[in-house]
Amino acid sequence: MGRFLLVLRKMAATTIRLSSYLCCLWLIVQVHSVNRDNFKTCEQSGFCKRHRSLQPGQSPYKVLMDSLKISSSQISVQLLNTKTNVRLVLDLYGLQGNTARLKINELEPLKPRYEIPMGDVLVGEPKQQDLKVLDKGSESLTLGLEDNKIVLTFSPFRVDFVAGEEPVVSINAQGLLKFEHFRKKPEAPAEDAAPGEPAEGEEKKEEENKEEEKKPEQEEEPMLWEETFKSFHDPKPNGPSSVGIDVSFPGFENVYGIPEHADSMALKTTKDTDPYRLFNLDVFEYELYNPMALYGSVPVMWAHNEKSTVGIYWNNAAETWIDISSTTADKNFFSKIADLVKGNSEMAQMDTHWFSESGVIDIFIMLGPRPKDVFKQYAALTGSTELPPLFAISYHQCRWNYNDQDDVKNVDANMDMYDIPYDVIWLDIEHTDGKRYFTWDAHKFPSSKDMLNGVAVKGRKMVTIVDPHLKRDDNYKVYADAKSRDMMVKGGGGEEYEGWCWPGSSSWPDFTNPEVRNWWASKFQYSEYDGSTPDLYIWNDMNEPSVFNGPEITFHKDVQHYGGVENRDVHNLYGFYVQKATAEGILMRSNNEQRPFVLTRAFFAGSQRFGAVWTGDNMGEWSHLKVSNPMLLTLNLAGITFSGADVGGFFRNPDSELQTRWYQTGAFQPFFRAHAHIDTKRREPYLLPEENMKIVREAIRKRYSYLPFWYTLFYHGYRSGETVMSPLWVTYPEDKSTFQMDDEYLLGSSLLVKPITEQGAVGTNVYFPGSNEVWYDIETYQSYAGSQSTYINAPLEKIPVFQRGGSIVPRKMRVRRSSSLMVSDPFTLVICLDKQGEALGDLYADDYKSYAYRRGEYIHRVFSFKNNILQSSNADPNGRGASREWVEKLVIVGYPKAATSVHITVDGNSQSLHHSYDSSSRVLTVRKPDVNITKDFSITIQ
Amino acid sequence: MGEYMYFVCFLLVFGVRVNAEIERPRGVSISMASKYEPNNKQTFQCLDGSAQIPYEHLNDDYCDCADGSDEPGTSACTNGRFHCTNAGYTPKNIQSSRVNDGVCDCCDGSDEYEGKIECVNNCKELGKKLREEQDEKRRLHEEGFKKREGFIAEASTLMEGKKLKIKELETEKAEIQEKLKELEARKTEAEGPEKEAKDKHEQAWKEQKDAREKERQAGKAREAFDDLDLNKDGFVDVFEIIPHLEFDIDSNGIVSEEEAKEHLEDHEKVDYEEFSSKIWGNIHSIYKKLVPDEPQQVTPPPVEPQGDTGVPVPTEEPQEESAEEDKMPEYDEETKALIAAADEARKNYEEADKRSRDIDGEITTLTSYLNTDYGKDQAYAVLRDNCYEYTDREYTYKLCPFSTASQRPKSGGHETNLGRWGRWENDKTQVYDHGQNCWNGPDRSVKIHITCGPDHQLTNAYEPSRCEYAFDFITPCACDQHSQPQVKEIRDEL
Repeated sequence: MGRFLLVLRKMAATTIRLSSYLCCLWLIVQVHSVNRDNFKTCEQSGFCKRHRSLQPGQSPYKVLMDSLKISSSQISVQLLNTKTNVRLVLDLYGLQGNTARLKINELEPLKPRYEIPMGDVLVGEPKQQDLKVLDKGSESLTLGLEDNKIVLTFSPFRVDFVAGEEPVVSINAQGLLKFEHFRKKPEAPAEDAAPGEPAEGEEKKEEENKEEEKKPEQEEEPMLWEETFKSFHDPKPNGPSSVGIDVSFPGFENVYGIPEHADSMALKTTKDTDPYRLFNLDVFEYELYNPMALYGSVPVMWAHNEKSTVGIYWNNAAETWIDISSTTADKNFFSKIADLVKGNSEMAQMDTHWFSESGVIDIFIMLGPRPKDVFKQYAALTGSTELPPLFAISYHQCRWNYNDQDDVKNVDANMDMYDIPYDVIWLDIEHTDGKRYFTWDAHKFPSSKDMLNGVAVKGRKMVTIVDPHLKRDDNYKVYADAKSRDMMVKGGGGEEYEGWCWPGSSSWPDFTNPEVRNWWASKFQYSEYDGSTPDLYIWNDMNEPSVFNGPEITFHKDVQHYGGVENRDVHNLYGFYVQKATAEGILMRSNNEQRPFVLTRAFFAGSQRFGAVWTGDNMGEWSHLKVSNPMLLTLNLAGITFSGADVGGFFRNPDSELQTRWYQTGAFQPFFRAHAHIDTKRREPYLLPEENMKIVREAIRKRYSYLPFWYTLFYHGYRSGETVMSPLWVTYPEDKSTFQMDDEYLLGSSLLVKPITEQGAVGTNVYFPGSNEVWYDIETYQSYAGSQSTYINAPLEKIPVFQRGGSIVPRKMRVRRSSSLMVSDPFTLVICLDKQGEALGDLYADDYKSYAYRRGEYIHRVFSFKNNILQSSNADPNGRGASREWVEKLVIVGYPKAATSVHITVDGNSQSLHHSYDSSSRVLTVRKPDVNITKDFSITIQ
Repeated sequence: MGEYMYFVCFLLVFGVRVNAEIERPRGVSISMASKYEPNNKQTFQCLDGSAQIPYEHLNDDYCDCADGSDEPGTSACTNGRFHCTNAGYTPKNIQSSRVNDGVCDCCDGSDEYEGKIECVNNCKELGKKLREEQDEKRRLHEEGFKKREGFIAEASTLMEGKKLKIKELETEKAEIQEKLKELEARKTEAEGPEKEAKDKHEQAWKEQKDAREKERQAGKAREAFDDLDLNKDGFVDVFEIIPHLEFDIDSNGIVSEEEAKEHLEDHEKVDYEEFSSKIWGNIHSIYKKLVPDEPQQVTPPPVEPQGDTGVPVPTEEPQEESAEEDKMPEYDEETKALIAAADEARKNYEEADKRSRDIDGEITTLTSYLNTDYGKDQAYAVLRDNCYEYTDREYTYKLCPFSTASQRPKSGGHETNLGRWGRWENDKTQVYDHGQNCWNGPDRSVKIHITCGPDHQLTNAYEPSRCEYAFDFITPCACDQHSQPQVKEIRDEL
């Protein structure tokens, strides 16, 4: 968004002459100098205010047991609002994998309420699991779901989930369920505040009782039928439509998730702040440590304690706010539904309150019980991160902008001259012909294919930016085509919606429409996207969407989408669909052979299936380096594992120390891309002072040497939904001291990373988890005991990274100019022994780029070291891939003594190997086993 | 041992050429070949001396030596180097990581022997091209060098001229200094009587004016007295004051008796004598003549100045006195003569003084010219006072060496100052800085990269970083080495 100001300046200076336009620009510029004011507080949002003002207490809702319908895996029952007599319907489903789904909708809505189409966010209809009726009493119904109980209490309505004997999730326990049913707009709001017709056949008594209360309640409710924020009016043609309910986590003190916020990993109580907000927005120079909305939204939350991990996914794409508070559990109630409550000690509880502006209540309750279980459960719903092509997890060199083909060529040549590996060079908006995406500036990029082929010779790729706003220029093919097909989103009056973005006056294709997505995808065909080649990949920016002159810099809420849906209903999904359509385009252009790569700024639950996410326009300041770790941990917890922050920071000019530390950090984060604003000084790594350049080069090379490990991690993530960059508690769930730790993290369970994020720091305290563990410095192989903290010296050249004793990490030490030049290079296995002298690890490999692995063309090896024998065996009989890769070296760390002999046995043939021992670091090196990686082999040490 | 002796003899006979034919490990240059000969223990000593390894471990695709010296022909050592002979072109040492990586880095293709890619040996073509380029470069350089000699001579003449000019100016200045003293004395001499005469004349005029003013005030007092004295009894009393709202001290809308009395200096009434001597002096600034029929309650607000011209609209009463009366009479003839004499003396002095200052300016300019660093042999001095332009798609860039760098849009519009002459960063790079400030950024600056060329020409202009520009400039001034540029030896086919 910061780019925005500059472009205005350029536009004003060069092309724009109309004074009215200048006036308009001036207004926007004014607005942007005070960024917080651009965005709504809860107080300025009608439905937020209405829901937040609810007080915990008796819920007006009760379950109408007469209406109960039970099928094998689902119950359906009506809920009555005893104040308004409006009826809702509750559906409760048992799902496979310790998961339940709870849906609440109006029984008879005036028109259907919006629900996200099946297959878009949810990968498909979730597989159901039988529910058993355990007990049906006059006050409650108890259901069994695998080893869990679900207790539905009738009056007031609440649902409790009990895992084993522990209550873990309670819904509507505080009675905050509020469901704004569709209603007819009252003629004169002051006179007739009655909401709709009372349902038939209700007890008169109740109706009368509540009659008096109705009116004052209605009158208090602000901004039901229209609201205004700054100069923007929201006519709300459908009136109030919000939904909200409370979700409590008894027994938990920490909750996580709900990105994207620039905040700590462990979520904070929102008593003294606004609620956490989920509303995809382009926020200029965002502030740190507050609950303001950012570019993306994933309404998933985890609660974790020593005993279990549970969570919910709130399946709603409208603007959503979440209040969080910590309290103590109501033991009286829980003693009735679970045989717990030993002793008198208080039980902690996290209360959360969720409310969305429209749609329905659709909650998935994932009952764990282990961290890795909930990730799998969530992945079963919204999918896992697709296995990225290898280049995508390598180093990316980006800047707004590489000016022209010569610039690209020079950067490429300089990276080689300084021997700094990189895989992808990126082009920002200036590469286009007047911000018309899918085009090239004919003067700066006259022969883009030559340029692409030039970098591709060295195995490199390029990425161009393609944003969703289309310049309203009838001579612009893409716009004219979309316009003639009537594919744009519409304004409230049904006209083609128009707003300002990079190209000036713009319109936006309606990506919520599957036909539009197909049309968009077809634009990436080589025949359509002139000057593109198979080495060109895509970056979607501004897809919140960013509308410079729109309310909160985005669409008006009453913008109309496909199927009579308002942006109000689908706002948080727009960017998701843009990336989905783009990824489909990249996939299609290769006839579904090659894996796509698309980076997006806006995202939603499920975006992990379409590519990578970055944390938007951060700043080149130490605080932003520091916050990148909790932000990426939270994204990982929410399934967006392929994520990163702009290395160096987008805005400002970071000094060489900050750049150095940022590269060191980025080298150990999942998505590793340097990026910079057009106003900043050039900062390609070779421009750093020599000392820093060498350190940065070393950090990037380290990334390349660990690529086999990263690739294997991503494979696991793809298969099981696991995090790539993980909080320590994912691997050490019982270690309370790690629950709020977000400056230190694990990659898989093998590498412990504590990046230096403080200016001038020459060391840091590292916490080594696991009481029985031993950790080894990856450089010196010095060992550290688990379950304690040690001060580690970290002068500028040092990245504190440690390998867990008991793990085997595959590396490639022959770092070349790009990852694809390394695909047939040999592996070095770094075997760090645990206290028993054992270790375990694995390696996944394939062709690193295509979908051939889905036809079994991959290898998955498991390495185990035990009783002085390293065994390599096939981890997956489905993997039948071939490979030229081989094993060149074993580094056995923590080995007690020199060996007398080392033998390798392959196919029954035994051969002795050279070896050496360094007694000071206790490292035994085995020379050149020279065995193809696909082979079973064993290496015996005597 | 005998073999060795034979070999030595062989060397003595056939010299170095034969040495090149020795079998040497892949990736080793001829000059290093001897270090890679097998010894009698069949071991290889790492070049840094760190280890001794079995000879068969040389180039066996596993890195044994810390310095990477055991794998000159493979990619095994991260810090190793591979030597391409590149017969017909220049030899090259490449990083081991570029061996067998599927990219042709050596023109002889020797770095890609595993067959990941077919590399065409194009060393001959490259060598030919290089030789041609070098010949051309050498030719240009020699041509440029000759021109440069001329420029140096020109610069030297120029410098001498400037130095001479300074000397002349200094002489002239010394003379003027002398003359100035005299002229100043003459000026002082003439200004004394002039001042005396003028003062006298002005003093007389002032007295005359004061008397006239006094008279006028008296007239006004009489008029006011008559006006105030409504009953015409020859006194102005308290009740005659009351209707005059301007005497409302506490602004309550009425003039009380006390207020009226206060204005009459505590008298109930005063006669004209008292009025004119004691009262009028105090009230003449607030007193207003009563306007019959339309008693003014509130004075209208003064008219605000309008428009942004800032010219105040006069709100004062028009001056009654005629301009004629206010004008000082002309000086008498005697005074006029004195003034004319003084004017003449002043003029003479000022002219001389101006010339003196102009000379200072000229000297400063010349000195600064002479003090500027025009590079080795002052060769670049000839560029001064010239400007060179380069036009790209959008802008015309202009370099005026040792002065300024600028750009202007081709479509017209203002010229932007990109920087003023700053310094030599090194003998081929100039910096022009402190240009126009960039919005939200630094002051603009330009680096000029200078290379040897046949003429003075700005050949490229670009903006590598926002508001940090770079120009490429060629000039014979940069052809400063008599010998041709250092050319790497082109290895002929052996």
